[in-house]
Amino acid sequence: MESGKESKHMRTGGKRVSKGVERGEPFEIEVDGEKIVAYEGETVGAALLAAGQRTLRYTNKLERPRGLYCGIGLCQECRITINGVPNAQACQTLVTPGCRVETVKSLKRRES
Amino acid sequence: MEDSEFVIVGGGPGGIAAAMEAAKAGVEVTLVDENERLGGQCFRQFEKGFKVVDPEALGLDYQEGQELLHQFGLMEDKIRYLSKTLVWGIFENRTIALARDGASSTLGFKCLLAATGAYDRPVPFPGWTLPGVFTAGGAQKLVKSERVLPGENILLAGTGPLQLVLAHQILEAGGKIEAILEAGNFSRNWLRGFLGIWGNWDFLKEGLRYLRSIRKAGVPLLQRHIICEVHGEGRIQEAVIAEVDRDWRPKPDTARAVEVDSICLGYGLVSSSELTMLAGCGHSYDLRLGGYVPLRSATMETTVPGIYAVGDGAGVAGRKVAIEEGRIAGISAARALGHLSGTDAAEQIKPCLKRLRRIGRFRRVLDDISLPRRGLYELAQDDTIICRCEEVTLKQLKDALAVGILRMKDFKRISRMGMGPCEGRMCVPSVIEMMRHRLGASAEDVGCLLPRPSIKPVALGVLAAAGTAERKTAHGSSRS
Repeated sequence: MESGKESKHMRTGGKRVSKGVERGEPFEIEVDGEKIVAYEGETVGAALLAAGQRTLRYTNKLERPRGLYCGIGLCQECRITINGVPNAQACQTLVTPGCRVETVKSLKRRES
Repeated sequence: MEDSEFVIVGGGPGGIAAAMEAAKAGVEVTLVDENERLGGQCFRQFEKGFKVVDPEALGLDYQEGQELLHQFGLMEDKIRYLSKTLVWGIFENRTIALARDGASSTLGFKCLLAATGAYDRPVPFPGWTLPGVFTAGGAQKLVKSERVLPGENILLAGTGPLQLVLAHQILEAGGKIEAILEAGNFSRNWLRGFLGIWGNWDFLKEGLRYLRSIRKAGVPLLQRHIICEVHGEGRIQEAVIAEVDRDWRPKPDTARAVEVDSICLGYGLVSSSELTMLAGCGHSYDLRLGGYVPLRSATMETTVPGIYAVGDGAGVAGRKVAIEEGRIAGISAARALGHLSGTDAAEQIKPCLKRLRRIGRFRRVLDDISLPRRGLYELAQDDTIICRCEEVTLKQLKDALAVGILRMKDFKRISRMGMGPCEGRMCVPSVIEMMRHRLGASAEDVGCLLPRPSIKPVALGVLAAAGTAERKTAHGSSRS
């Protein structure tokens, strides 16, 4: 069951909380061509989670969905394409206004 | 890059404490850290954009971290600090390799400290690769320093006090927790815990505060419970939980499903000892300490002279131990580099040792209860992924053992386990345990996968950029 992105009803998010802090400037970023709101100081991974996009890529061999797992830059599960650069870590890359994020299809899907 | 007398790898509490002690004694210090900002995992700071308006709402450890970072700030002119810099190798001529600003470079040292920290122990079970299953540390980073909750209805599963910290943080942030599963049995060991905490009031106070907030929120804290499976298509729909026996094996007829959308797993921590391994330091395996940890002297020196190791990366023990060990290493390095006399160094180390001994007592009690039992490593089914990168299944491991594979490096050769971009971090710790239980062998017999440079993925373009930079330097200076 692979699609470029999860359908609307499948999205369950992460919710932003503001206790103790004030967020940075809000701006739009693009995820698979769709605009979502992100805030300065967030990583791409957190912004996507808050928008309900948990699946970041599909594996090559078994075409299974993967998302944020270790969250601290080690597991490499959140590899995603950011501004055309492949294998960027969503959990380590900060959002910038207008940045373009593409979730990753399995190798078979990319070739077909 | 210009050489440094003392290079510290890792900007968490241990690395910061060491940098400050050494710099105070007059040592030329370079502190190298991967992140945008100092603090490591436990003292992680908010990124630019966030403004902290109420530090109290962010917890005791946040405030403690701010204090340490403030002290570091006062000494900033005495310490060379390289942020966003990845250490990808260490070579025989007292040189480490760095990746920074899209180019690779080298940095020479006389003494080196590995303060590389730890990460959550990965445990394979059916469904653990689904999006929405986070490590406790990853979830903590999201909640603490990005202020995003991992989900709407969260299940915490694992063992040890860090789970309670995360639960407290989620609740404080207004999140909903379905239940907290503690695989160990803390209730019967509270008395021993009390005995161990003599002189450690703040530990106890912290722990009780977390327990109170969990109780107040009405979140069930289920001891001797484990998560067995996660179900869902594309997203998590439910988790199957069960009561466990002493070996953490699910008891028959106790399994039940709970509806949750996110899961945070915290089965203790694994030491990040790749750098000391790569440096050829002697290591021993101790599951209590976080797997393979470097052998060290009382001055925190490894078996390779001039290379020190402190904090969770040298044996998981938390931030307070990391700070004391860091101080000892900083002082010891200053002594080794001739900036302090032997007597002065010994005098400065004394109070650190005293504090370390006090913390040590509490630690042992927790370790006993939280030590992963073999049942944890029997949760995986034949089609469960045990190596996430290369999608290697338990069936492949069983087949390999059946034809006489006895060592991890041989299993790697036939399966590609450990050869993906995480470089074995997410599979080796659990495959060691699965192999040794199934074979009835010791961890040393099973062996591990030796790290190779680069110890973290580095783009080819970054390495290629190094070539040009190095050639230019060779032209302009006498350095060979």
